[in-house]
Amino acid sequence: MIRYALTRLALLLLGLLVASALIFLTLRVLPGDVAQLIAGLNATPEQIEAIRDRLGLDAPLVVQYLQWIGGILTGDLGSSQLTGTPVIDELLQKAEVTIPLGLMALTVALLIALPFGVLSAVRRGRRDGTALNVGAQTIAAVPVVWAGMMLVIVFAVWLGWLPAQGFPREGWDDPARAFRSLLLPAVTIGVIEGAMLMRFVRSATLQAVGQDYVRTAAAKGLTRTRALLQHGLPNVGLSIITVLGLQVAGILVGAVVIEQLFGLPGIGRMLVADVGNRDLPKVQGELLVLTGFVLVVGFVVDLLHRVIDPRQREAE
Amino acid sequence: MLRRPTLVAAALLAAGALLLSGCTGDPAPEATPTAITPDPNASVDIRLVLEPGNLDIRETAGAALDQILIDNVYQGLVSRTPEQDIEPSLASDYEISPDGLTYTFTLREGVLFHNGEELTPEDVVWSLEQVRDTETFRDSARLANVESITADGQTITLSLSSPDSTLLWNLTGRAGLILKKGDKTDRKTAANGTGPFTLESWKQGDSITFARNEDYWGEKAKVAEVVFSYLPDNQAALAGALAGDFDALTGFDANLTDQIEAGGDFTVELGASTDKGTLAFNSKKAPLDDVRVRQAIRQAIDKEAIVTALGAGTTQYGPIPELDPGYEDLSSVAPYDPEAARALLAEAGAENLSLTLTLYSGYGTTVSQILVSNLNDVGITLKVDAVEFPTWINDVYINQDYDLSFVLHTEARDFENWANPAYYFTYDNPEVQRLYAESIASTDEAAAADLLKQAARIVSEDHAADWLYNGASVVAVSSGIAGLPSVNVNERLNVAEVVKSAE
Repeated sequence: MIRYALTRLALLLLGLLVASALIFLTLRVLPGDVAQLIAGLNATPEQIEAIRDRLGLDAPLVVQYLQWIGGILTGDLGSSQLTGTPVIDELLQKAEVTIPLGLMALTVALLIALPFGVLSAVRRGRRDGTALNVGAQTIAAVPVVWAGMMLVIVFAVWLGWLPAQGFPREGWDDPARAFRSLLLPAVTIGVIEGAMLMRFVRSATLQAVGQDYVRTAAAKGLTRTRALLQHGLPNVGLSIITVLGLQVAGILVGAVVIEQLFGLPGIGRMLVADVGNRDLPKVQGELLVLTGFVLVVGFVVDLLHRVIDPRQREAE
Repeated sequence: MLRRPTLVAAALLAAGALLLSGCTGDPAPEATPTAITPDPNASVDIRLVLEPGNLDIRETAGAALDQILIDNVYQGLVSRTPEQDIEPSLASDYEISPDGLTYTFTLREGVLFHNGEELTPEDVVWSLEQVRDTETFRDSARLANVESITADGQTITLSLSSPDSTLLWNLTGRAGLILKKGDKTDRKTAANGTGPFTLESWKQGDSITFARNEDYWGEKAKVAEVVFSYLPDNQAALAGALAGDFDALTGFDANLTDQIEAGGDFTVELGASTDKGTLAFNSKKAPLDDVRVRQAIRQAIDKEAIVTALGAGTTQYGPIPELDPGYEDLSSVAPYDPEAARALLAEAGAENLSLTLTLYSGYGTTVSQILVSNLNDVGITLKVDAVEFPTWINDVYINQDYDLSFVLHTEARDFENWANPAYYFTYDNPEVQRLYAESIASTDEAAAADLLKQAARIVSEDHAADWLYNGASVVAVSSGIAGLPSVNVNERLNVAEVVKSAE
């Protein structure tokens, strides 16, 4: 187990290193220059050169990359070229929107996926089961932007129950307001992710129904549903953990879109703005942290799997 | 990548909102002037479109900074009204010598910076000298004719090496802003000015908040706080307004007027602006180096249709908009005439042309769709290449590697670009350059304007570019708000006079 964990950790670090190089290089392919953007139209070449010089943009790429990596190893993720603010500070500030948003979306997704997924499996072949399944497939295909707009029309414009956009300037000082402003965006992501997850829960449940131990339990006199709930679901839970790991990346992508739509000052919206501003050190730092986050989630999921499922350990 | 889903959503929301306004039985918005009882403690929330990258007004380009920081936070000796008139600001008075070489300003007394320090004549001399002598500062060249800046008591004197009819105007902009000498404020994220508002906070990617400056030398601002919320998407802004999140929306889409006015809480105000929807021609590159081809393109484009599609604005046929000196109606130079366009193209041997239009994707698709269809009518295939702004700067602006480009030029009095052969317009006409230089050197306002007028006519007759429209300043204002400027607000938005109803 420990050997497995260490190997897995080494792989994680290697993955991060490769990701850092890829992030660095692909961003350099983007046309456009932050110095020119700062100086603006009508700037003289001297003005632009002076800014390039100040920002250290003339150094060779390898040097810039090594400086960046060197900084990270000493705990410095770099700073914005536009404002000079450390990347980590801004990430932490925006995380107070994006992390609660992601957790709320995940909660909504699970609240939908677990009961309805199991239900649609148990009721397979019946009319309500089929309806649930078709419904999930339809919802999973809905574009997140459209869903968001519809929810805004109904709950913000029409009924006036929830704010249509924005996040309170006081942040979480007023938790009720902050929570309310994240509710529509979180439901938007959550419903769609939940519908996708539900189909997975359904097939995992169906698989469990076919397992010998469930059939044995049923043979011992339990109803099929009880047998499934008592013996099958723990195993369903296991495979759902894996999918949840993947789901984290999906929710982050959803956040980029939804933060634009709802005017939420989160990490996704910051990332889009920074790419547009060609604030490359900032984009690099943000992408690396996000990549690291997804990799770590994958790592934890893998380890959990090992701990929970004895079969995997025996297979070693 | 985000554009398409956004568009689809926009269309759907529009449909949805139409449906809703249908359901509510269309309460016709009556423009009744509501008497407002001002609430001095009010906070006003205004939606803006474009957020600045940082707040350093000396070094960073972009209208987003001028829009909110000048007048509200930073001030110069003189300032301009929304109607583009020049008036005294930190100077209580000013005088220009008849030869146009000496400008004398009387500096106000008792002016405090936001950090509590007093404004001294020395600060003024230092500020102007800094801009003039620091090449990396924006608009540094605009003070190039200023030979010396001296202070005697409260009298500030600018001596010029040669007359400059644009100097006073330039002093109302960035070049003329007065800062505190030796100030250690980090101007990228904070500000220390003399204006009616202090910069309270900037939540990047979200909003900038101003608080009333209680020690202001002039008439104090009428609300306690102004919040500028940055929200580029018009549909999201509309939804926010309908849900009561905003008091005013600038840069609004005039086509959404019915939807925002349907509830009766908002009115859309149209003001003049110096926004010029400019279709640049790369006249250094064949076939656009042929004046007949350029004229044909101009005559193929239905300007009225563009203005109608945008829902606001007016047509414009030359480089100078109506708000600026030197304006003249040049509609007769290249009227809409597809038949004439086809003939010109045939004459130039340029039939079955294929051209590329490179533009910033943020401008949307309304204009480019009309261009594609209009040019197609006369046998020109137009390929639209919508790119990110940095890509546009790189390809079009710096490398001048383009056929046609559409840009909304918002700056007031920017004729200089037509007299600059190195500018991305690629237009080089010594006669225009001479007239422009003469206009600058003129000591008489009317004569200066007349010279600009002559130069502008030549630019239009050379078909150096096409001017698709003169944009309108579109502001949606809630009924609880008064005193918000409606003219040219994309360039300057002075909020000192804004009042909010106590309800």
